[in-house]
Amino acid sequence: MAEYKLLLEHSHEPEFRTLHGYLARGGYAALNRAKGMERQAIIDEVKTSGLRGRGGAGFPTWIKWNGIEKEKTRPHYLICNADEGEPGTFKDKQLMETTPFLVIEGMTIAALATQADAGYIYIRGEFVDAAKSLRAAIDEAYAHGYLGQNILGTGLNFDLYIHMGAGSYECGEESALMSSLMGERGMPRLKFPHAPLPTVAGVWDQPTIINNVETYAAAVPILAKGGEWYVTLGANTKNSRGTKIFSVSAHVNKPGNYEIEFGTPLMELLDLAGGMKGGALKACVPGGSSVPMLNAEDCQNAILAYEELWETGSMVGSGGCMFLNEHTCIVSYTWRTAQFYAMESCGKCTPCREGTKWMLQILERILRGNGQPGDMDLLMEITKQIDGRSFCGLGDAAAWPVAGAIKKFPEEFEYFIKNGRSMVDTPEARAMAPRWAQRAFSAV
Amino acid sequence: MAAAVQTETVAITINDIELHVPKGELIVESVKRLGLEIPIFCYHPRMKPVGMCRMCLVEVGFKQPDGSVRKMPKPQAGCTLPASEGMVVYTDTEMVHRDRKGVLEFLLINHPLDCPICDRGGECPLQNNTLAYGPSTSRFLEVKRHLPKAYPLSEYVTLDLERCIQCGRCVRFTEEISGDSQLAFRFRGASMQPSTFQLTDFESRFSGNVIEICPVGALTSSKYRFRARPWDLETRPGLCTLTPCGTNVFYDYRSGRLVRINGRTNEDVNEEWTSDTTKFGHDALYNNPNRIQVPHVREGEAFRAVEWSEAYAAVLGACEGKRTAVLAGTMLSNEDYYAWQALARTALATNHLDLRWQKTLLPASQMLKARTGLPGVQYGIADLENALAILVFGTNLAADQPMSYLRTRKAWFRNGARVVVAHHEASEAESFAHVVLRYRPGTAAELAAGLANLLAPELADATRIATPEWTEAQTGVPADRLREAAEALRGTEFAAITTHGLFDEANGVTAYQTLALLTSHAGGKFNGLVNHANEQGGREMGFAPDLGPGGEAVTAGMNTAEILQAAAKGEIDTLILVGCDPIRDFPDTALATQALENVANLVLVDSAQTEACAYASAILPMALPAERDGTYTSSERRVQRMERILKAPGESKAPWQIAMELGLRAGSSAPYFHARDVMDAIAEQVPAYAGARYQDIPETGVRLANPEGLTRSNDAVVQALQSLLGGR
Ligand SMILES: Cc1cc2nc3c(=O)[nH]c(=O)nc-3n(C[C@H](O)[C@H](O)[C@H](O)COP(=O)(O)O)c2cc1C
Ligand code: SF4
Ligand code: SF4
Ligand code: SF4
Ligand code: FES
Repeated sequence: MAEYKLLLEHSHEPEFRTLHGYLARGGYAALNRAKGMERQAIIDEVKTSGLRGRGGAGFPTWIKWNGIEKEKTRPHYLICNADEGEPGTFKDKQLMETTPFLVIEGMTIAALATQADAGYIYIRGEFVDAAKSLRAAIDEAYAHGYLGQNILGTGLNFDLYIHMGAGSYECGEESALMSSLMGERGMPRLKFPHAPLPTVAGVWDQPTIINNVETYAAAVPILAKGGEWYVTLGANTKNSRGTKIFSVSAHVNKPGNYEIEFGTPLMELLDLAGGMKGGALKACVPGGSSVPMLNAEDCQNAILAYEELWETGSMVGSGGCMFLNEHTCIVSYTWRTAQFYAMESCGKCTPCREGTKWMLQILERILRGNGQPGDMDLLMEITKQIDGRSFCGLGDAAAWPVAGAIKKFPEEFEYFIKNGRSMVDTPEARAMAPRWAQRAFSAV
Repeated sequence: MAAAVQTETVAITINDIELHVPKGELIVESVKRLGLEIPIFCYHPRMKPVGMCRMCLVEVGFKQPDGSVRKMPKPQAGCTLPASEGMVVYTDTEMVHRDRKGVLEFLLINHPLDCPICDRGGECPLQNNTLAYGPSTSRFLEVKRHLPKAYPLSEYVTLDLERCIQCGRCVRFTEEISGDSQLAFRFRGASMQPSTFQLTDFESRFSGNVIEICPVGALTSSKYRFRARPWDLETRPGLCTLTPCGTNVFYDYRSGRLVRINGRTNEDVNEEWTSDTTKFGHDALYNNPNRIQVPHVREGEAFRAVEWSEAYAAVLGACEGKRTAVLAGTMLSNEDYYAWQALARTALATNHLDLRWQKTLLPASQMLKARTGLPGVQYGIADLENALAILVFGTNLAADQPMSYLRTRKAWFRNGARVVVAHHEASEAESFAHVVLRYRPGTAAELAAGLANLLAPELADATRIATPEWTEAQTGVPADRLREAAEALRGTEFAAITTHGLFDEANGVTAYQTLALLTSHAGGKFNGLVNHANEQGGREMGFAPDLGPGGEAVTAGMNTAEILQAAAKGEIDTLILVGCDPIRDFPDTALATQALENVANLVLVDSAQTEACAYASAILPMALPAERDGTYTSSERRVQRMERILKAPGESKAPWQIAMELGLRAGSSAPYFHARDVMDAIAEQVPAYAGARYQDIPETGVRLANPEGLTRSNDAVVQALQSLLGGR
C-alpha cells in the first residue's frame, strides 16, 4: 500500500485554496449532492461510511450528528476543533492552510444535516497561516453564496466564525473548548452521565456538534462519492474505514503529513517518510505524544487502524506519529513529555494537577542522577492514580506515556536510577537531553 | 409564587441496598439517605457541583435488562452524578478506598501541614478526611511548593496559598452566591491559585463566607487569625443584631470574650450565609474597650460610680413632674422596647418616645396601613426564591437587606426569575437585573405612577397622565424600558421590595405607597422593610410616639426629630437615651448636639461610652443582646429568640430590667423575673403576638401573619398622586 490521497490530493496546488480552483477540482460536488437529500439521508450516508472522529477518540461521527434534535426548537451550533495541540500532530494545520474549502464544505454539509445556525472554527492561537487561509476562503464562500443566507438555494442559513485560541492545549478538549469559546476559563465541563451530551446542551446550552478538522473534511468525499464507496477503504480492518492523515516526525528522513488507507502497516508509513534518520528504529509513538509508545518489535507488526493498534498496545489518537531512533534516551524523552502535560494541566482536578507535577519532579530527579530504588513503582502507582480518576482526558493523556515507557523500556529506567546515568550514552542522546541533565551522559 | 415540585423518583442501588430517590438527585446526597457518607472537598450543597477535587469517587454501574450489573470502567464523582433509573453505586469497594487514598496523597504532597498553628486545625476537613481515608505515610521526596502564607485579600480575609487545595469553593461563592465575582483562578496546573482579578482588594459585602466554606485553613479571618484553637472555643447559637434580616449565627467565644461569628443555618432566613456586617461587625460592639461597667451619676464635671438604687433614684427624681422623652436605638429586644414604652407611658407619663433615626418620620395616620389598608410586609425572605419576577425599588438591597438580596439573586441565578431594579443610583442588584430603571433622584413617585399606569388597570385613571413617555420625561427612564419592566412583571404574582429608606427621597412616601398599591392591584406581593436591626419589633411593641403596643392609636407624642428640636429649645427637661446616641445616629448632627446640650437631665442607658456621655447626668450600663435573653423581630416579621451567650460586663443589666426596676420604684410596673415574663405581657397586649410564649418559639423562629380581611383602599394614595401629577 502507498499513500492514498483523498483529502490531501490537491493540497500542493495553491489554486485549491481559492473558490475557483476548488470548484474546478470538483469542489462542492458533495454539498450539491447533499442538498438534494433528506437530512436523515445525509446522516445515514455518514453512518454507512463508518467515519470515526479524527480528533483522537475515534467516536462514530454519525452518532453525534444523529443526536441533534430533529424538530428544531432552538439554535443549533457546529464547532470545528482546530486547536491541534497534541505534540507530534500537525495535520489539521495543513488541511486548513491548503484545503480550507474542504473544511468549510464539510461543515456546511454537517450544518445542512443538523440544521445548524452557526459554526465556530476554534483555531489554535499559533496557527496564524491556517486562520488567514480560512478567513480568505470563508470570505469568498460568503461572497458566492456558499455561506450565509439560503446557501445554494437550500434554505439553509449558516454563518461560520473563526475563533483563535489563546495558547492552551487543554482548550482542544471539547468541553474546555466550549468554555473558552464562551469566554470562560479554559476548563472542561461536566460530561455525560453527569451532564447532558453536547448534542443536547453544548455551547450556550444549545445542541452542539463538535468535530475535528479532518472529520469534517472527510465528510466531503463521503457525500461526494457515497458512504458505500468510502467503506471500501480500510475494508480489511476491524472497524476503521477510509483514510487517515498521519503526521510523521522525529527521526525520519522526510517528516510530513502522509494520508494512508486504514490498515496500512506502521512500517510502510515509516517507508513513506523516508525511513529512519540517524540510527535504527527504537520506538514509535504512533498517535500523538499521549499514546503509549511501541518498541521496535511491536512496530514490525503494528497496523494503522483503531482496534488493531489498540491490540498492539497503543492508539491511533490524533495521528501524530513519532519514530524514535536508537539514540533516544527514553527517560529523557519521557521527562520531556511529562513536562508538556504538567505545564498544560488546567489545574481543575486534583489527580492531574498534582500528579503530573509530581511525575515531572520524579523524572527530573532521576535525570539529575538522584533516582531512588522505588521510583519506578512509584511512577507506575501515580499513573494509576491519575488514569481514569481525572476530570478530563488530559490526565489520562499524561499518565499513558509515562506508564507506556516504563512498561516498554524498564531496563532504561532501572539503569538510570541505579547508575545515575543514561543507558543510552551517545553524543546524539546527550544532545537531545536538557542542559541540566548533561552530567548523565558522557562528554564527547 | 410556588414553582412546580419535581416528584419523579428512580430506583437506585447503593451498596446493595435498593432505594427510591428523586430523579436527578446527586449521588452524594442520595447516600445520606442510608446514613452513609461520601467524603468531599469541593462539593457544596448550595453551589453547582463541579467535580474538581475527585475526593468523592465511587464505583458506578447500571442494571441490565437481564438483572446483571454493568460497571462503568472508571470511577465516577459522586458529587456530580445525578441518580437515574437502575443506577448501581458502590461506596465501599477496594477501588473506592484506593482512589480516596490516592486523591488525599495528591492533596497532601504539597500541603504545608502546619496544623499546629492553623486556624482550621481541629475543624479541618482535610485533617478529617486524611484521618478517615488517607495514607499514613508520605512517598513524596521532592521539595514542597512554597507560596505566600499571609496574602491579605482584603481587610477581613487573609489567604494562605500553601494550604489551598484548589477546590474552587471560594471562587464559586463569589460567582454563584454573592455574585460579585471577585475571586477567580489565576495560572494553571499545579500553579493554579485563587485570586482577585488583577490582585485588587477583595471587595464584597459577603466576603466572610468564603472563610467558612473553605475546606482548609487557606482563607482565614484577618481578625480571628491565630487568636484561638477551635477546641478552646465555646459556641452558642445566636442572632445578628446589626442587620434587619434576623441572620442566624453562632457566637464563638473564649474565656467569655467573643472571638468570632459564624453563619448558622436557617433555611428560612440566611440559609447559611452572613453579610460582612454580621460576621465582622459584632467584634467592635462586644469587645469595645470602653464598655460601661457600673452606674454613674454626674457630680459637677466628673462622674461618680454608684449603686443601682442610687442611680434609679436619681433618674426618677429627674423625671418626676418633668417634661420627659425617651429615644431608643434599634438593637434592643422586643422585651426591652415593650418595657420601656410601658415605663414611658405610665411612670414617666409621656408619649414622646421613638426609635426611628431617619429624616422622614411618618405619623401613624400617613403610614401604609392607615392609608391603603395594606400590610407593609407580605412575604418572607425565603418566598423570594420562588418568585418568577421581583421588583427591587428604591433601595440598595445588598446594603439594606443583605439576606433578601442573596435570595433575590438566587431566584434569578437558580430559577431565572426576572428582576427589575429601580433606583436612582447604581447598586449590586443591577448586575443581574432583567431591566434596570435608573430614575433621576427625587422622581421615584413619578416612576411608581408610570408603573401603576401600565400594571394596575384600577389605577390607570388616577395615573392617566403618567404614560411611559411622560414618565420618561419626568424620570429619565426610557419609555420602552419601562414597558419592558412592566412586561417582565405582568401576570407573575411578582414580589415588590423596597425599604423605609425610600421615605427620605422627595415624594418618597407617595412612591412607597403607590408601589404597594400597584403591586396589590397587579397581583403581586409587597414588602416595605425597615432598615435597622430590631426596628420592626420596636414598632410592634409600641415604641412609637403615636402607636401603642400592637398599633393601637394613642395620643400622639413627639417623634425623634420633634423631640430633638424641643430639647434644643430647652422644652425637654429630661431625655433618656436607651442604646442610642443622637450625635451618631441622627442625620442632623448639629441639631442633635444642640439638643443634648440643652436638656437639663440626660440619662444614658448604654453599653459603652459615646459622645453623648459628655452631656449625661446619669449613665446606666446596658447589657448587649448576646449578653441577655430576648426576642427579636426581623424586617420580614420573623420573631426569633436569642438566649444569653456572653456574660455582661460589670453590673450591666438588660434594658427591660432597667425599665422594670424603675417602674417598680415608681409603682407602675409588675415585677418581671425573666424576658419570658415580659413576653407574656407582650402576648397579652400585642395581637400579632397573642399566645406567643418565649420558650415555645421554635429554633428557626416564627414569621408573623398579617390579620385576615384587610380592605384595600385607593383613595388616599390616589389623592396624593393627583396632587403630585396634577401639579406638573
Ligand atoms: C486534553 C485533550 C486535548 C484535545 N485536543 C484536541 C485537539 O486539539 N483537536 C481535536 O480535534 N480534538 C482534541 N481532543 C479531542 C476532543 O475532545 C474531541 O474528542 C474531538 O474534538 C471530537 O472530534 P472528532 O469526533 O471529530 O474526533 C482533545 C482531547 C483532550 C482530552
Ligand atoms: S485532567 Fe483535570 S487538571 Fe487535567 S486538564 Fe483535565 S480537568 Fe484540568
Ligand atoms: S488546612 Fe490547616 S489544619 Fe488542615 S491540614 Fe492544612 S495545615 Fe492542617
Ligand atoms: S482558598 Fe479554600 S475555598 Fe478557595 S480554592 Fe483554595 S481551598 Fe478552596
Ligand atoms: S467532592 Fe466530588 S469532586 Fe470534589
